[in-house]
Amino acid sequence: MKKKLDFKNFSIYFDQYLFIAITLLSVMGLFFLYSASQEDINTVAKQAIFVGFGLLLMFVVSQPDPDFYNTFSGLFLIFSLVLIFLTMIFGKEINGAKRWLDLGFFTLQSSEIIKISLPIFLSSYLYNKPLPISTRHTFITLILIGFIFALVARQPDLGTSLVVFMSGGYVLFLAGLSWRFIGSAIALFLLSLPFLWNNFLEPFQQQRVLTYLNPDADPYGTAWNITQSKIAIGSGGINGKGYQEGSQAHLDFLPETETDFIFAVIAEEFGFIGVCILLSVFFFILLRCLYLAFNARDRFCRLTIGGLSLVFASTLFINLAMVVGVVPVVGMPLPFISKGGSSLLSFYIAFGIIISMATHKKLMQR
Amino acid sequence: MIDLNERFIEKRSFFNRLLFIYFFFAVLFLFLLFKTYSLQVSSYSDYELAALKNKTKEVLVQPVRGVIYDRNGNILVNNVPTYDLIIQPSKIKNLDDFIINISKIIELSDAEIENINKNFKRRATYNRELTIKKDLSKEEIAKFEVRSYQFKNAFIDVRYSRENKYPYLFSHALGYVGGVSNDKVLSILKNQDLKQSETTFKYSGGFIAGKTGLENIYDSALRGSFGKKLFEVDARGRLLKELSFEKPINGKSLFTHLDLNSQKKAFEQMNNRRGAVVALELKSGSIVTYLSTPSFNVNGLSNGMSSVEFEKLINDVDKPFFDRAGQGRYSPASTIKPAIALFGIKEKIVDWNFTLKDPGFFVLPEDQRIYRGWKKGGHGTIDMKGAIIESSNTFFFSLAYKADINNLISHLSEFGFGRNVCKDCFNPDSGLLPTPEWKMNNLNFGWFKGDTVNLGVGQGYMSATPVQLAYYSAFLAKKGNLQELSFVESDSISNTAFINNLSIDNSDWDQIHSSMIGVIEDPRGTAKRLKPLKSYVVAAKSGTVELVSTETKEDYKLVRQNIGNRDHAIIVAFGPMPDPEYAVSVVIENGESGGSVAGPVAIAVLNELINK
Repeated sequence: MKKKLDFKNFSIYFDQYLFIAITLLSVMGLFFLYSASQEDINTVAKQAIFVGFGLLLMFVVSQPDPDFYNTFSGLFLIFSLVLIFLTMIFGKEINGAKRWLDLGFFTLQSSEIIKISLPIFLSSYLYNKPLPISTRHTFITLILIGFIFALVARQPDLGTSLVVFMSGGYVLFLAGLSWRFIGSAIALFLLSLPFLWNNFLEPFQQQRVLTYLNPDADPYGTAWNITQSKIAIGSGGINGKGYQEGSQAHLDFLPETETDFIFAVIAEEFGFIGVCILLSVFFFILLRCLYLAFNARDRFCRLTIGGLSLVFASTLFINLAMVVGVVPVVGMPLPFISKGGSSLLSFYIAFGIIISMATHKKLMQR
Repeated sequence: MIDLNERFIEKRSFFNRLLFIYFFFAVLFLFLLFKTYSLQVSSYSDYELAALKNKTKEVLVQPVRGVIYDRNGNILVNNVPTYDLIIQPSKIKNLDDFIINISKIIELSDAEIENINKNFKRRATYNRELTIKKDLSKEEIAKFEVRSYQFKNAFIDVRYSRENKYPYLFSHALGYVGGVSNDKVLSILKNQDLKQSETTFKYSGGFIAGKTGLENIYDSALRGSFGKKLFEVDARGRLLKELSFEKPINGKSLFTHLDLNSQKKAFEQMNNRRGAVVALELKSGSIVTYLSTPSFNVNGLSNGMSSVEFEKLINDVDKPFFDRAGQGRYSPASTIKPAIALFGIKEKIVDWNFTLKDPGFFVLPEDQRIYRGWKKGGHGTIDMKGAIIESSNTFFFSLAYKADINNLISHLSEFGFGRNVCKDCFNPDSGLLPTPEWKMNNLNFGWFKGDTVNLGVGQGYMSATPVQLAYYSAFLAKKGNLQELSFVESDSISNTAFINNLSIDNSDWDQIHSSMIGVIEDPRGTAKRLKPLKSYVVAAKSGTVELVSTETKEDYKLVRQNIGNRDHAIIVAFGPMPDPEYAVSVVIENGESGGSVAGPVAIAVLNELINK
């Protein structure tokens, strides 16, 4: 239930369902991270600061009226793009990828910001266009999406660039993109796959895809991560091995336990029951977003809530699918759980905006 | 401004599309949930096993080999501990400091320090131990022990080496141990359902197995069973903690029938001459003395010797590695005569009353070829007993002349010639019992009557090993009731009487015994010189193996100038009569006289065995 609390002259905008669910996830995340980081209290403390700050940020971001976001969405997008360009120039290179901008106190992954600002901008651009969306607007939108996609993909960061692409695509689709166009786009995409494979994928990304397609070819080489992840999940069984008892995680068989593969740690230590409990919190958040989208005050809010919640769903899906070995390893965090400030903060901001969109009502409607 | 109708259409389109995507995601998430379910519930046991395999490592623990005893409980082969200084590199923070500190107590050579520096890092990473100094002296051990509180990360551990306590006496009988090929290791472990894996060795030589002698024949019993330790390991293969320990089962001790004293006596008597001594205990048919000389230090082979030493042994003209007792081939010469005599009796060619005038030579009727005896002018008129005592060749030439070769061969085979007579000898040779087929196949010649005549005095193509000669001696002593020889008491030896295919009357056996007693006791006997060497009655038959055939004594004098051309001396003997307990065979290469050269060795060994 969305609420508007009156404190004499100003109001507080707040959705307790989302707030409780997200807080719960964040706390569970800290709890899981402690085990996944081999009981490293420093890592957990740092993450806890992000969680606390993030929750505050979410609350702050949910206070302004949607009109504020509508008005400044262009500015947000430009700001995000500037960050991306700065990353391209000053970025910190790790393992051949330039994705991080060192801000001294915080290392920012700029692509995490744009997957929020792009759907907001597109919502604001498309909300007042007549239906069905004209070819001209479709193309302008697609060019923008393609441009940003290419920027992020060049870092290179295939996973995030796909989410960025999808974030734009979701809004376009929700705003009423014609089915005929969708059909031809899918056909075109399939036809250009070989071209994309050869020209857009780095060799290590190609290797990941090949490994995914044939994981048994080289179980101790490139498929190591997936093999160990499956062993971790599978050996967890129904009840799990117990907190901090996961041998795959604690004996270093599992890679990236704190970030991409934290779900495998959870599955190993808490079993299928733990997985179901965790996923039900995620599903609750998604269903709450669906409800809020249906009850949003106008088209801009609807598109924004829809777009952002689908970005959240996509991130969640890609991470889980990667960890259980259904899609290639792409580097995608588990929202609110994985270590990493940028992703964490961007989702707090996203949900802050969702709450803002859902709780502010137009005066004329009351 | 969008009108209400359009607003309604837009809203419905939005809801439909959002629901469409949500539905799409619902399907995807259900699929993931199903996938997780199949990993965690359906395939749980597979993955549980995979995780267990990931995190555990099996380390094999070598068992200690069994001890080998003689029949009086004297230890012949033992495991001798050496003390090595071992460190745990993962617990040492500053290696240089550690080396400086430990060097104050235990001196380390440059090579040892280099070895530490080379292996330290790797061992530390994988949490493995590192031996920094081998074979510490008692002083070093004491010095370290009193200061061990300073070195929590170092300790002294025992490693064994295999040691034969009488390294020259039992070189050929007991053999030595050594490193083994990878295939052999795999097959040993496979017998125990183990896979090759890292191993904690009890022997400084690592994986060892018996290479020759009883160490080889009884290797699996002596070896024992490997134990295994299960460790928890991380992804890098570091050992984290011990999970379980299945202790190794040490090898069984081997209780042999070998007799240390008689072996010592034989060794002393042989005095490094080339030859062999084999003595048997008659009741059990077991080997009590098994010596081949010259010998070599067997411990050098087990635990490493310098390449110079090894080259010297390999190139030694006396061939110390060669096991003359089990593999040396010698003509039985005159020692065969008792067996030929029994053949004559059995085939009714002669009886004990039959006499023959011995002119000193035998003329083969077919081609007038002359076969000479050893005594010029011959032995006069002589019966079979006298022919054995005086070793008349003429008598046995003429006896063999009347023999059917195939019958003679099968008769001699009963006495152990031409076949393996030992159950647990290492690589035993069967000698050669020549047959017409053998001659045709190997020499491309038919069998001549002269070949049969030669067989009558144990010369020609026939050859036997000292082990076969000892068997033959024991066979005569026990009147044919003899099974295969063995070094150890075996459960499978039954008490039922051995049935041979000979049908020889007891009185004939007694006649043979008394003839052989005459060889020593009778004034005419070829070994009469042995009479004063003992206090009991011994039956014997000596032999002299001609290596170069000569017509006269003068010719032989020329030939014997080359030591290698001198006759081999040979004797078989058993006693004390009339109830013999031991049988012995002695061969001395180029020793010339069976009676006076090989004889004293045989008597000395019998004395040692009987006079206790």
